[in-house]
Amino acid sequence: MNLIDIRNLSIELQTPTKSILAVDHVNLTMKEGEVRGLVGESGSGKSLLAQAIIGVLDEKWVVHVDRFHWRGQDLMRLSADERKAIISKDVAMIFQEPMACLDPTATIGEQLEEAVDTEQLTGFFWQKRQQRKLAAMNLLHKVGIKQHQACVKSFPHQLTDALCQRVMIAMALARRPILLIADEPTAAMESTNQGQIFRLLASLNQLKNMSILLISHDLENVTHWTNTITVMYSGQFVEAGTTEQIFNQPYHPYTRALVDSSPKASRMIPNKSRLMTLPGSIPILQHLPIGCRLGPRCPRAQQKCVHAPKVTNFHDHQVSCHFPLKDSYS
Amino acid sequence: MARDKVYQEEDFPTPLMQLWHSFKQPPVVMIGFCCFIFLIVLALLANIITPYSPVENHLEYVLLPPAWSNDGNVSFLLGTDNLGRDMLSRLMQGTSLTFGLSIIVVMASLAIGVIIGSLSALTTGIKSSVLNHFLDVILSIPSLLLAIIIVAILGPGLENTLWAIIMVLIPQFVHITRNAVKEEFAKDYVLASRLDGASSIRILRYSVFPNIIEKLISQATLAQSAAILDIAALGFLGLGAPLPMPEWGAMLANGIDMFYIAPWTVYLPGLAILFSVIATNLVGEGMRHALKARKEN
Amino acid sequence: MSDVLLKVINLSKSYQDKNYWFNRKSIIALEPLSFNIMAHKTLAIVGETGSGKSTLAKLLVGAELPTTGHIRLNGQTLAPGNFKQRCQHVRMIFQDSGTTLNPSLTIEQLLDEPLQLNTKLDETERHQLIRETLQKVGLLADHMSFYPHMFSGGQKQRISLARAIILQPQVIILDEALASLDPSLRSQMINLLLDLQQQMGLAFILISHNLGIVRHFSDEMMVLCKGKVLEYGKTTDILQKPKHKYTKKLIMSQRFQLLNH
Repeated sequence: MNLIDIRNLSIELQTPTKSILAVDHVNLTMKEGEVRGLVGESGSGKSLLAQAIIGVLDEKWVVHVDRFHWRGQDLMRLSADERKAIISKDVAMIFQEPMACLDPTATIGEQLEEAVDTEQLTGFFWQKRQQRKLAAMNLLHKVGIKQHQACVKSFPHQLTDALCQRVMIAMALARRPILLIADEPTAAMESTNQGQIFRLLASLNQLKNMSILLISHDLENVTHWTNTITVMYSGQFVEAGTTEQIFNQPYHPYTRALVDSSPKASRMIPNKSRLMTLPGSIPILQHLPIGCRLGPRCPRAQQKCVHAPKVTNFHDHQVSCHFPLKDSYS
Repeated sequence: MARDKVYQEEDFPTPLMQLWHSFKQPPVVMIGFCCFIFLIVLALLANIITPYSPVENHLEYVLLPPAWSNDGNVSFLLGTDNLGRDMLSRLMQGTSLTFGLSIIVVMASLAIGVIIGSLSALTTGIKSSVLNHFLDVILSIPSLLLAIIIVAILGPGLENTLWAIIMVLIPQFVHITRNAVKEEFAKDYVLASRLDGASSIRILRYSVFPNIIEKLISQATLAQSAAILDIAALGFLGLGAPLPMPEWGAMLANGIDMFYIAPWTVYLPGLAILFSVIATNLVGEGMRHALKARKEN
Repeated sequence: MSDVLLKVINLSKSYQDKNYWFNRKSIIALEPLSFNIMAHKTLAIVGETGSGKSTLAKLLVGAELPTTGHIRLNGQTLAPGNFKQRCQHVRMIFQDSGTTLNPSLTIEQLLDEPLQLNTKLDETERHQLIRETLQKVGLLADHMSFYPHMFSGGQKQRISLARAIILQPQVIILDEALASLDPSLRSQMINLLLDLQQQMGLAFILISHNLGIVRHFSDEMMVLCKGKVLEYGKTTDILQKPKHKYTKKLIMSQRFQLLNH
């Protein structure tokens, strides 16, 4: 059974002059226990998609969706409040700069105790205080912080970035979520710390069977840690499939360009040679191309690309292109 | 030779023009701004457009109520005071005294404060702290008390009270300039300018000041509403403008004795002070609002 | 085989701890190091925060005074405080493209400033040079009258690059300039830098912690940790046979084992 099944999600930005389609008919499916990567550069709408799932977009963004199933239950039939109640119980999110997400005037211990789920505590209120402290300590142990005494008493600015991100993950785990959305959790960190955080997420996935949606702008970073990947460009769905399929045989020209343009690709390119790139740059929100938004930059674009392509499915490898690269691999 | 701009009609707004656009947006701010401009025009043209001279006595029309009451006379629209002087002309002349002088006072203290603040930001260590804080001693003395002291030393008169108010307003500009300039110095483009070989004056002029001018203007409007109230208060105490001059505070003091028989001699100058302070505050609000909108952008 | 372009001898930097008036402690930000760079070559400096790489960049570009050592370019010693001499030879591109460009100047005024201060060209010649430089980095002459907020991140980095090359320097320092860019923009920028290196004979000093870019883009590599030089040599040698434990840890954490080295 699919954990989350979203079809044709669109997010419109209402400006005084016109409405801009920031996210254009994107599909997303996830199974239980799966780690999915959501890859896209800036302007691709991936953070908007995550925020739409959680439900924290404000009034200027209007969300339309054809199908939004959560564990088989159709959420679009429920009212907004009921939807929010279900999602907030089962889905948690961690963000990009952990130190900015923690309250600078409260100690870590106070913030963790605040995050602990009150429904899991029993007894009278003085017993609950003790249990809360114990629960906070357990959360810190779960994310691998052994010396919880020092951590609990300190303020966010006294900890390193990686430690703050672990604390954020601990806070996200407090409600025992089924899905954890990680919105570029390691963007501002160095590579050794990135490895720590990713290893933590992988262990949480394996031990607790928790699904993770890992959002990143760097394809190569994400390929080691994910089972499946969805690629987005400029608000449109581009390609989705298993990591091997995407990395070794990308069907969409954009995915191919992403894989080729990273110097770490598994093709041996001579030192200091030019990298293969797509010309041009990402379109801005005010001037989005019609139809397939990669059109102006795509080397295989033709007349047909003025119309938005439909999603075609080749053995669980979905691609949204009029001229996919499937034939060049056979 | 190829032209540089392909789209000749497209115009790119400078940051000041953008500030103006976001400033204009709330209608309340535009109303306040129009009132502000009206007051400035009135202050500049007061001598020319008053119907009567503000110091001329019309002894046959003493204590005439405003034209809308039963005993009023249309030729004296807002009535007269106890010496037969026309209230409307006195109020208009008073604009150039209270309001106009407040603008001059604020500009003078802005100039001095910015110079001291920039010097303080350019130096480091003890010199910088001294420049930053040596005028703070003025903050500990209330402005009225300081004016009384200065008047006691230098003698009464309008210029001496102006010096007192200028001195009181300087420290805030020093602090704000120093903090803003230090914040700008931490940015990379100032370092890039310095690496190009620019002198400190050049850096201040091209890289730093255009970016801090909005903060200075919003602080200046705050200072101006304080300056208007200070000038009026000193006039009320009799320390400011000498007697025949129609400064609003002095007019208030003059009318207090006759409050029960001729209330318009009190409430009209009071309303004038209220109007100018509200206009200044609306402009200041609009400026701060535009600044915040720009920061979020 | 070209001659040595930039020679750095015994450069170090230490700070006096200002908090104590008596018993002053000095903090060593960078221990004495020396290296050479040839034209058309790139040196990569790798290390974590606090390793001293930004201090080294600032010393090379002249923003800070070294405690010991000196820098020689083409045999000529570069005087530490002399910006006018230094900027003709060594230029720098910063990391955060948001604050590298003055928001209240147009691009033309921004690029005009180094020319006004350091060259004796008149106005038409400056205008022409600005137009040519913008074309070299892939922007249009139209862009001269735009303000920085109208550009995207990738374009802002190109403008920074234009500001760096407009004085025809010999060495350009890239202080994590590629870190904040998206992957496709990053590869476009790398192609542009490679082209310019060919055309103008520049030497680059790349400060980065992305070993993939380092492997592709650089000829020699230096690993810094807490102000000390751990390794220095050819990039391929260091990445294949790292001697120090720290280098090994760094390589491991970037998944190099994916490649068939």
